[in-house]
Amino acid sequence: MRRPANQEPPLSAGALVGLGLRVQHYDALSSHGLRADFAEAISENFMGRGGRAFSVLERVRSDMPVALHGVSLSIGGMDPLPDTYLSQLAELATRITAFSVSDHLCFGTFGGHYAHDLWPLPYTEEALEHVVARVQRVQDRLGRQLLLENVSSYVEYRASTLSEWEFLSEVVTRADAGILLDLNNVFVSAQNHGFLPAEYLAALPRERVRQFHLAGHSDAGSYLFDDHGSPVSAPVFRLYEQALERFGPLPTIVEWDERLPELPVLEAEADRARALSNARQAAFREREP
Amino acid sequence: MKLAELQRYFASAATSGSGPLPELERVFFGSKQLSAQARLAIYNRAYFYRLLDALASVFGHTKRLLGELEFERLGLAYLSRHPSEHPAVERIGRAFPEYLRVTGAPPLIVDLASLEWARLCALVAPNPASIASVHAIQPSQFPEARLRFVPSLHWLELDPRVLSAFAGEQLDSSAVAALQPACRVAIWRSQHVVMQQAVADCEWQAFSHAASGATLSQVCSVFDSGSAAEDVQRAFRVLSGWFARNWLEKVEHGQALAI
Repeated sequence: MRRPANQEPPLSAGALVGLGLRVQHYDALSSHGLRADFAEAISENFMGRGGRAFSVLERVRSDMPVALHGVSLSIGGMDPLPDTYLSQLAELATRITAFSVSDHLCFGTFGGHYAHDLWPLPYTEEALEHVVARVQRVQDRLGRQLLLENVSSYVEYRASTLSEWEFLSEVVTRADAGILLDLNNVFVSAQNHGFLPAEYLAALPRERVRQFHLAGHSDAGSYLFDDHGSPVSAPVFRLYEQALERFGPLPTIVEWDERLPELPVLEAEADRARALSNARQAAFREREP
Repeated sequence: MKLAELQRYFASAATSGSGPLPELERVFFGSKQLSAQARLAIYNRAYFYRLLDALASVFGHTKRLLGELEFERLGLAYLSRHPSEHPAVERIGRAFPEYLRVTGAPPLIVDLASLEWARLCALVAPNPASIASVHAIQPSQFPEARLRFVPSLHWLELDPRVLSAFAGEQLDSSAVAALQPACRVAIWRSQHVVMQQAVADCEWQAFSHAASGATLSQVCSVFDSGSAAEDVQRAFRVLSGWFARNWLEKVEHGQALAI
């Protein structure tokens, strides 16, 4: 079964920059809501459970669209795709009419266990076929397109025969999936492996890129670490501008997980991204007759 | 190497608690700034410390009682033997109380960890389909009615000092090692807040009967002391307390079960 590429409900016009829901902000979210265009919820934090988390999600959903973003699907893993997981994800996506469902292009399961990390795949033909088949199964099960996010990585396999961007492009094209392009991850991996971020962006199929992620990273000296624990860096914002230029002003999430500040700090960070996105949108409008 | 073999190799390197695997440099690229071994070590460190953080977020009071270093030592040993079996990282501690028990931790600490795990289970339990009202019981159907409890309700037998330790009271080391007779504690979620309360033996027995499918007349037999007026009052107090605390999802009517 193939799905149309734009099956999910569209965002309202001008709705472009959102924030992730984090448990440390539940009090503020419950009382004041979220000042953003849309919100992103980590799927596993809400699947098959009730209580306050779900109440906060429903409160936010009553104000704005919600995107679901998973961390444990392990789309490249060798363990079977877990049936309960997919059922609960499908149920959650339906219940909150999620405007998108995404996860990471990586593996995170081993021998029936969860790593709770985003481990890189070898970029080989075998891995490509394996991932494409699994993405198609997930999309069939969810009845909608899956967006795949590029991950930050610290190591590369000698067995790889494709670049990361070639692999990502092939997966989404063959599986009819979308790309959630994390610009911080592109920047971090580029520094750690010595490629040009611009080359990565230029190689991606423009029509497949559907959302952006922005986040902070830390400098560990001999490598950059994707810790989501600081403001978006200036080079990543510059890369975001390049991405806006190439792919257009797409829905963007600002992520922050470690050393999480108060909600207004995140909202201000989202404002910075919104200003860039709006500027790019205005430039596009000027170019059009 | 095939994909499955590469993934097994990576997972072994990332989750090994005993140093690097052989031939890392033949499987992964290294560079002048960072060897393949150093690159895999980033994943190894991230794996253990992310899970240790998740463990600490659930077992905060246990960590306080054990101390930072001992919690880290026990936590890392636990994680190397009990990898996660659930897509939500917070569930990593499912077997931690039992691990503490079999590794010889003082019973008070094992019980405190059990309480913290039960509180997490109550916190994340699915919402009940409904909350039963006492008015759901028709007097004529009372004897044969059965009770279905909300998913968040858990019961534990614990050292009574666990409740003090959970409340932040300091216990000296000799007190931690000493054994105490167990008390029964109910843990549940009400209005998004996890509650806990010690309960009397007769209430524990009544709950055990009710949870195993007994009818209300069978449940009330627990309160039979030979003084009808007192028995009725005690049964009423306990049962109305269950309704008041929103422990009951549904009152069902049907055939009695043999118990």
